[in-house]
Amino acid sequence: MNALEARGLVKRYGGLVAVNDIGFDLHDGEILGLIGPNGSGKSTVMKLVMGIERPDAGSVKLDGVETVGWPSYRIARAGVGIVFQHSRPLHRQTVLENIKLALLPDSLLRLTATAGVDDRAREIADSVGLGDVLHRHPATLPFADLRRMEMAKAIARDPKVVLIDEPFAGLTGGEVETFSELIRALRAQGHAVLLVDHNVKSVAALADRVLAMYLGQQVSEGTVDEVMRNETVRRVYLGGTLEASQRNGAAAETRPSLLRVEDVSVFYGKAQALEHVDLHVNEGEFVSVVGLNGAGKTTLFNAISGLVPYAGTVAFGDHALAGRTPAAIARDGIVQCPESRQLFGDMTVRENLDLGGQHLPAEARAEQLAWLFELFPILESRQGQVARTLSGGEQQMLAIARALMMRPKLLILDEPTLGLAPVILEQLSNALERLRASTPITVLLGEQNVTFALPHADRVYLLEHARVVWEGEPAKFAAVMGEGYL
Amino acid sequence: MTRAFNRRLLFAGIVFVLVATVLPLWLSAYVLGVLTTAYYFGVFSMSWDLLFGFAGEVNFGPTFLIGLGAYTAALLDNAYHPPVVICIAAGALAALVGGVLLALPALRLRGPYFGLVTLVAVLLLQNAIVIFARFTGGEIGMTVPDVLSVDPKLNYCYALAFFVVSAILLYGLSRSAVGLILQASGQDAVEAQALGFNVTKHKLAAFSVSALFSGVAGAMLVFYMGAASVGTIIDIGIGVQIIIGAVLGGRRTILGPAIGAIFLVVGTELLRPLGQLNTFVIAGIALAVILFFPDGLLGHVLRPRENT
Amino acid sequence: MTTLQILVDGFAISSLYALAAVGFTLIFGVSGVLNLAHGGIMLVAALVGWWVAGETPLGTYGGTLVGILAGLLTAYLTYFLVVRPIQRSKAIAQEEKEIFVLTGTLLWGIMIQTGMAYVFSDNPVTMRPLIPGVIAVMGVRTPINEVMIAVLCWVIIGLLWVLINRTPAGKQMLAASINPRGLTLLGFELSQIYFRVWTIYGVLAGVAGVLLASFLGVGTANAGQLTASAFSIVVLGGLGSVSGSLIAAYVVGYLETLTAYLIAPTLRPIPALILLVLVVYLRPQGLLGRR
Repeated sequence: MNALEARGLVKRYGGLVAVNDIGFDLHDGEILGLIGPNGSGKSTVMKLVMGIERPDAGSVKLDGVETVGWPSYRIARAGVGIVFQHSRPLHRQTVLENIKLALLPDSLLRLTATAGVDDRAREIADSVGLGDVLHRHPATLPFADLRRMEMAKAIARDPKVVLIDEPFAGLTGGEVETFSELIRALRAQGHAVLLVDHNVKSVAALADRVLAMYLGQQVSEGTVDEVMRNETVRRVYLGGTLEASQRNGAAAETRPSLLRVEDVSVFYGKAQALEHVDLHVNEGEFVSVVGLNGAGKTTLFNAISGLVPYAGTVAFGDHALAGRTPAAIARDGIVQCPESRQLFGDMTVRENLDLGGQHLPAEARAEQLAWLFELFPILESRQGQVARTLSGGEQQMLAIARALMMRPKLLILDEPTLGLAPVILEQLSNALERLRASTPITVLLGEQNVTFALPHADRVYLLEHARVVWEGEPAKFAAVMGEGYL
Repeated sequence: MTRAFNRRLLFAGIVFVLVATVLPLWLSAYVLGVLTTAYYFGVFSMSWDLLFGFAGEVNFGPTFLIGLGAYTAALLDNAYHPPVVICIAAGALAALVGGVLLALPALRLRGPYFGLVTLVAVLLLQNAIVIFARFTGGEIGMTVPDVLSVDPKLNYCYALAFFVVSAILLYGLSRSAVGLILQASGQDAVEAQALGFNVTKHKLAAFSVSALFSGVAGAMLVFYMGAASVGTIIDIGIGVQIIIGAVLGGRRTILGPAIGAIFLVVGTELLRPLGQLNTFVIAGIALAVILFFPDGLLGHVLRPRENT
Repeated sequence: MTTLQILVDGFAISSLYALAAVGFTLIFGVSGVLNLAHGGIMLVAALVGWWVAGETPLGTYGGTLVGILAGLLTAYLTYFLVVRPIQRSKAIAQEEKEIFVLTGTLLWGIMIQTGMAYVFSDNPVTMRPLIPGVIAVMGVRTPINEVMIAVLCWVIIGLLWVLINRTPAGKQMLAASINPRGLTLLGFELSQIYFRVWTIYGVLAGVAGVLLASFLGVGTANAGQLTASAFSIVVLGGLGSVSGSLIAAYVVGYLETLTAYLIAPTLRPIPALILLVLVVYLRPQGLLGRR
């Protein structure tokens, strides 16, 4: 019997089609993994099922009853529970009270909880492993316990279908195992579970079936093995077959050091995003940091750019960067081109570029602009167009060009390929190759697309669960890590 | 730990009520008058806190609800001279209906817009009173033929009793199951909905309760003062004082705002020798509290401090 | 004749509203601050200008200048004593900053208002016109001062437009209103940009305050109403949209003048309020607002 049946779901935000014709079945006692890179629309699908967003087309049936158009509280009462990735628990209440909340009837007249609620809340708390911290306040709990509490709230009403957003985000290795056990226990009790995650690997051991999404569309569905072998999935994550070309690698090691990251750790609240990371970049080197979404790449770059507080040392040339403002670090020569691009959407291409070049004297700015138009010819013809209306690939080129207008000593590129179609990747790859060949620029590239990251790189770091787990030459990466990476 | 704290609170509450009840034996009519007004403002601030601190909605126009209650009671009393209790009940009903009519569409709005609409509601009410000056007395205000009592001690006791009952009810509500749901709705409406709670229903209920208490307090204030005027009941400055009292005392605690509001009224009175500067000093103190103790006085004391 | 009278008077009042609202919307657009001490800042400029013009040998022009400086200084105090400490406070949760800035500036505005009332008394004051005399505009006898105010307002708004759209510093402000993080990544200190925006705002509010004093007259009791009218104009036009605010200023200015002439002067603010409620319910983003 299908607990949940989704058919032809479509969701548009303005001109962007976030979800395009997605459908799936979910049985009782089954775990379905919904995977896709950031921006692929998987979280939107989850919101459509929960009724947080209303689909533009399509149907969602819970036990054969159409739920599209229902407010989410009605869907929740009909038997769907959700574990949010980020939630705001009640801080003045204890863990027990937070769980009791989820057991209360939606009534204005029941001022006190019914007798059984207290025992039931304790029972649920015990089942997710919160038995020892019942009377603590959420603010004093470790991150993993907060996630347990969210889990407890979601299953409190004994829903038929449980949706879990990024079940392992921010958890350490051991905790991942415990959580996997909890999720398996849900399946054993007959719940239907939908896991939404950005990579196949983390749900592989858990899911009975997997549905992979990219750019709003379904690219593959089947068992974990089938999906992992799927050509398109591999291309989305790895960019096709692995190949590595190496340039002047030996020479790079002898050059003076430009950036040194030593023993850097970062916490977001209680979640550890970076754990004792060491990394160095020499002048003129092209270094790639590869790792799946959520491994800590963006956090690492934000720590270097001074955008998040960290423990440890980041040194640029001969001075430490601690205490400098992010803007001062950028003026110093470390320019970041972030994953989210951060363009000025309502301004034209030219205005975006000019802002990047404002620190340069007029003559140097004109020179730099001419050079960039050579590197990205498309931008020259789009000068007067408003940045928001550019295609994804053009926006990415603009973001890189804008960063280059600052004549950086070190250019940090964070996930430049995110959400781009394969054709664009090639253009981007060519532009990077020309950049590397024609200038002495130093680049630190963060990518989950290994095929994109390796050909340019002199050296590679692999980041996994907030830690650097491997460092070496790209040729060796292909040999050592090749298959096990995804 | 929570339970031990509750016992302490109960003890403090009993001591307060006992002391407050015997105060009329010693204090002058003037001081009792100040405290009487202070108790009504305490109720205003508590009602506001239920809406902001728990439901998460910023109501910049508490005086809209208070004004509806006050003026309805006053107009009714002038027109038909029913018993005062009937007038107060009518005032409460008017505030409730007006509040629901305002909240129904306004709750669809987000962020500053809800606050803005409530602010505009006050301005419109203020203007309506001026336009219909023939009935309402316009800017000068109107007197009511009846009063609660001419005895300051009795007036004081009415206000105290109403204040204590309101405090118990509102505090109890905030600690009840419904209060828990309300707090969850205010903190993260999406998650509260996903837990199966109809957030709009709960927020509307909170608005109604807030309106009800504001309306009763507004009507009683009129029958204590013997008059209603824009300047003493509806003016935005009065609304600001109510909000400041709540923030000063500590949002999300219900009892904090009561303390804050009483402190404000009494403080303004104590600083009266400063003349025009008293408002300046009070606003300065409130600003300092906001900057240095953003949780408010009671909120600062109650902040969970537990060691892991 | 009434039609022309309404056209001319409405235009002058609307220009002044536009000037006052533009600064208000600018700091909201760039730094996300709704400054409820706005009326207070205009009040300081007006009263200080009036006092210097009348009581010192500096005269009307000197008074105007000192008044504007006083407005600027008050704007700085608002930013450094109230707004920035709240924005930087670690004790206030991010999602509550907005309400704290609102409450903080409100309190600060009350402090300004009562402080000014203490120093200058709460009687409304009127500055002597900058240029005396009367001329006929479209057959309507109009004080030259009123014409000068309308012209001056538009010159200043024009200068502001040039500053924002044609200078590097202006581009930075524009960029900050769209994407502050992006600007940081390009090596610009947001704190400097905010300081510049508050400077512009202070001058605009100062000029508007002084001109208001020489046109309609100002009293300490007006502070709240001045804030409210700027706030409603800005919401009508769309929060953060400068051109929307300009249009809304004229809508409100003419609505008020029409009501005052054709119905009753006492009803002056009401149609604008009703329009505001309608706009907020039906089109919360305002006339020209994004999103």
